[in-house]
Amino acid sequence: MGVLLVALPLLGLVVRTPWTRIAEVLTNETTLTALRLSLVVATSAAAISLVTGFPLAWALARGSFRGKTLVRALVVLPLVMPPVVAGVGLLAAFGRRGLVGSWLHDWFGVQLTFTTAAAVLAATFVSLPLAVLALEAGFRGLDERLEDAASTLGASRWYVLRRVTLPLMAPQIAAAAVLSWARALGEFGATITFAGNLQGRTQTLPLAVFEKLQTDQAAAFAISMLLIAIAAAVIFALRGRFLR
Amino acid sequence: MRARLRLLPFITSAVLLLAACGGSGSAATPSAATAEDHGLIVSAASSLTDAFTDIGKEFEAWNPGVTVAFNFGPSDGLATQIEEGAPVDVFASASPTWMDSVQDDRPGVSDRADFARNRLAVIVPTDNPAGIQGIDDLANNGVQLVIAAEGVPAGDYARQIFRNAEIYQAAMANVVSNAEDDRSVVASVASGEADAGVVYVTDVTPDVTDQVALIQIPDAVNVIATYPIAVITGSEEAELAKRFVDYVLGPGQRVLADYGFLPAS
Repeated sequence: MGVLLVALPLLGLVVRTPWTRIAEVLTNETTLTALRLSLVVATSAAAISLVTGFPLAWALARGSFRGKTLVRALVVLPLVMPPVVAGVGLLAAFGRRGLVGSWLHDWFGVQLTFTTAAAVLAATFVSLPLAVLALEAGFRGLDERLEDAASTLGASRWYVLRRVTLPLMAPQIAAAAVLSWARALGEFGATITFAGNLQGRTQTLPLAVFEKLQTDQAAAFAISMLLIAIAAAVIFALRGRFLR
Repeated sequence: MRARLRLLPFITSAVLLLAACGGSGSAATPSAATAEDHGLIVSAASSLTDAFTDIGKEFEAWNPGVTVAFNFGPSDGLATQIEEGAPVDVFASASPTWMDSVQDDRPGVSDRADFARNRLAVIVPTDNPAGIQGIDDLANNGVQLVIAAEGVPAGDYARQIFRNAEIYQAAMANVVSNAEDDRSVVASVASGEADAGVVYVTDVTPDVTDQVALIQIPDAVNVIATYPIAVITGSEEAELAKRFVDYVLGPGQRVLADYGFLPAS
């Protein structure tokens, strides 16, 4: 029954996808613009998640400090909270009248809402937890004695990080990158709430599907099929993780 | 394998329980359920949210045992749902286009009638950061404008008004977001994220009057939206659905007028 629950919607998409017109639909201007923007947004979000998630994951795996449980709970929260709520929160923080946003606006004339930066921020918010969890598992699986050995042999901390830690964690870093990228690519609720919906600026592929469903269903189904193909490629890339 | 199979009844009952919970919002509470109870599902344009919620309460009061559940959203999205087979009894659209679509495509409609008209207006946050005084100011450089997406009646009407006012190019260049529906436009302006929006006059409800200021659009360039309502073919409550349509065309007119809608003719 569970398999059917997952398989039937996919089958429905396959049946309704306009296969004879798919090339035409996927290469029209709206789709290409959304695809380009989605790649930029998801890649930026994954990069930020990796860079900011790395020290965070290290602290969570190796550190012992007060409030560690709280920090972990906070970091994982975006995984389980409704994305639209994330969008409302981002507005409250970075909107024109938000906690930080009003300050940005009044002092620097910067407005995040309705910009590509806002779409990246929304995507990062939801993809960071995945990166942190994957990296944290990597740190936990790492034999600390190897790093210690390098240190006792006179290697600097930077050298240990670069030549021992990072190479040993390469698979987990790759997994963190792919997982957070895929989550960022699929982000919808926080994006439409915080970044709005404008072609070429904030209309990513999921937003294009949502809009096209009302006006051009063939396009909506074709783009959906494209997103499923990408998701399938992600599962294949991480088959060691998901398909054991 | 056996362990997994034993979980099946539990999972099935959990799913059924969830389904029951989901249903209780739209139907009568289980304890009050009797053979007399009837439920009506009405899909209505977002601009009708407040007026139809009131009309629904009145209709329920006049018809004991009847519950009216509303599905508010952009008319184009509602039409798509109905065409995909959503079990809707009554459809109230903010434009004849989407009613035509449901009527001509599937599943078809009956008892169709126009029940209201609406004008559009410019809205700005009360502090009016972009100093908007009239429709032409929407073409000013740097105005952050939000309108409903293309295909959404409020979005199509806004575009038509820009054409009528001969500011289409400049105004469209100022659009920072194509919102899902008119109410999302109001939310963006009320929160101060956008400098201006184009919505129905009736969207400035008491809830937002202290956050949003309304600027009239001259009749010469304005668009008058016509709202049709109809019973969806295949409704299992067709007779009740017809009564609801009659109620909207009759006593409901007073409620619509209270919320600023114009009569259909």
